[in-house]
Amino acid sequence: MEVVGMQLLIGVSYGMLLFVLAAGLTLIMGVMKILNLAHGSLYVFGAYAGVVLTHLSGPWSNFWLATLAGGLAGGLIGLMLERGFLSHLYKELDEQVLLTFGFIYIFENVARWIWGPWLKIVRPPPFLSGSIDVGRLSFPTYRFAIIAIGLMIALGLWFLVQRTRVGSIIRAGMDDKEMTQGLGLNYRLIGSAIFFFGAFLAGVAGFLGAALSGVTPFMGIDIMLLAVIVIVIGGMGSILGALLGAMLLGIINSFGKAFFPDFVLFTAYLAMVAILLFRPTGLLGRKEI
Amino acid sequence: MGRTNVKFIGQVRLAPVVSYVVSGIVLVILPLVVPIYFESILTRILIFAIFALSLNLIWGYTGLISLGHAASFGVASYTIGILTVHYGIESFWLLAPAGILMATLVATVFGFIALRVSGVYFLLVTLALGQLVYAIATKWTSMTGGSNGLPGIPLPILGLPWFTWNATYFYYFVLVVFVICFFLLYRIVNSPFGHALEGIRDSEPRMRSLGYQAWLHKYIAFIVAGLFAGVAGILFAPFLGLIAPVYCSVTTSTLVMVMVLIGGKRVFFGPVIGTALIIILENFSSGFVPERWPLILGGAIVVSVMFLRGGISVYLVKFWEKVRYRYGGA
Repeated sequence: MEVVGMQLLIGVSYGMLLFVLAAGLTLIMGVMKILNLAHGSLYVFGAYAGVVLTHLSGPWSNFWLATLAGGLAGGLIGLMLERGFLSHLYKELDEQVLLTFGFIYIFENVARWIWGPWLKIVRPPPFLSGSIDVGRLSFPTYRFAIIAIGLMIALGLWFLVQRTRVGSIIRAGMDDKEMTQGLGLNYRLIGSAIFFFGAFLAGVAGFLGAALSGVTPFMGIDIMLLAVIVIVIGGMGSILGALLGAMLLGIINSFGKAFFPDFVLFTAYLAMVAILLFRPTGLLGRKEI
Repeated sequence: MGRTNVKFIGQVRLAPVVSYVVSGIVLVILPLVVPIYFESILTRILIFAIFALSLNLIWGYTGLISLGHAASFGVASYTIGILTVHYGIESFWLLAPAGILMATLVATVFGFIALRVSGVYFLLVTLALGQLVYAIATKWTSMTGGSNGLPGIPLPILGLPWFTWNATYFYYFVLVVFVICFFLLYRIVNSPFGHALEGIRDSEPRMRSLGYQAWLHKYIAFIVAGLFAGVAGILFAPFLGLIAPVYCSVTTSTLVMVMVLIGGKRVFFGPVIGTALIIILENFSSGFVPERWPLILGGAIVVSVMFLRGGISVYLVKFWEKVRYRYGGA
């Protein structure tokens, strides 16, 4: 029972982290039809940016400011990618994939160049580093904080996409980009904004995740593959789908690691293949991209 | 249907024959004049060139973007490795067919699954299937040696009592296999089947309405590509002496994609040029700045995607055309 409760918390909190990362990826995929494989690298840079800010500010360090810095780092690098490169490769899937994979190499090596190949352990901020006792169990507060932040981001995203004018433009663009542009909306600007925002979320996820699992320059590709699994399970372009997919993967991951560690990735990839074959739009996808 | 849709600029009657003969002679003479270190680079280039040519059959000619092509390559290598290390089978004449068979089998299964979908879904399915093989290679430690890889794979034993390997002989062995693969693939892409693949790449509905079985064509192309990737795989494991999970993973798949892209996927010999460039670049940079190789590779990818559309071989062919018009008459 205790093990189950603990694994559930670990799974849900990790799932929330994956959600924040994958939400950005799925938005970019849904709106821009761009598969950004370098999304995981933005996660890494977000993590390092937050960590560096925390280090620099020393005793005045602020968790929320560092998170913001992580997000901004991810967002700005993402914006550079989109404006400088990907916007010239509209609708050219193989070129997008190769370009962003090239950027994985570049970002990974630059991160290693700047910060070294070592695992950087990051501690949660003091006000979140305690633990919460439930019955005889004590759970780390930071994991609850991640769940709370993730839920807030999910709620905010849902509100943004479903209940605002910008959201209706986004949804219109997902359904028919040409028609939306034909109505006189500046979709180029909106696309860039979405890309920035998605990359921002990757950076935020990076800094939040740093205190869970540390940072290395090399984790970009693995975390990107996890995010891709999430958006495939949930359906590309769907925020709610990303939440569902992330929860599933997070829980499978934590229980799998505890009980049958050799089959976690295997199960995840198998699930991905099954979903792509039998329900290519994912569990909650809008329509085929 | 004649040669309506052929975009291959290099198909001049005499020029390719001459250039192939010249490159062939260069490839035969080269190991006699260069130091032994370059011999191993040349061998590596030829092995990866087979791999890249096989990828181009499905990517450049058929228009399928597979992120799991390394699965066939890696499975062939692992078959050789496992049979040699765990079961003591050393005869090349048993190992090679087993490796190629396994690679083809992988492609047969994966192609059947992945070709049910298209576009970005095809890409993602092949990615997941490739990573599945990678996960098996990492986790099935008793057989594959896990993430450390499987060392101790000897050069293939040909069963000739008076024969012992050295690096030069192995180079020539690989060269012979390369020439055979090059020739076979050349014949395939220039056959009616190959032209049908190009037709499918450019417009699948049109080919279907002309009565072609598009799905079957793509499936066969996928299997054939897997077979040739397997040929590269059975050469690679003994060449390296070991095999590691990374050679099944998306990293290797994209590396080979980059070789094809830089070389040029619309010219038949393009992937060979791209492979040579990438491997030479890798060796240069590991000589001077080994730490920065991923940065250089990433930079090369970005430059070739953004500025070298069509790849380097297109410029080579254009240059040749120019020379021909100026000096050669018609």
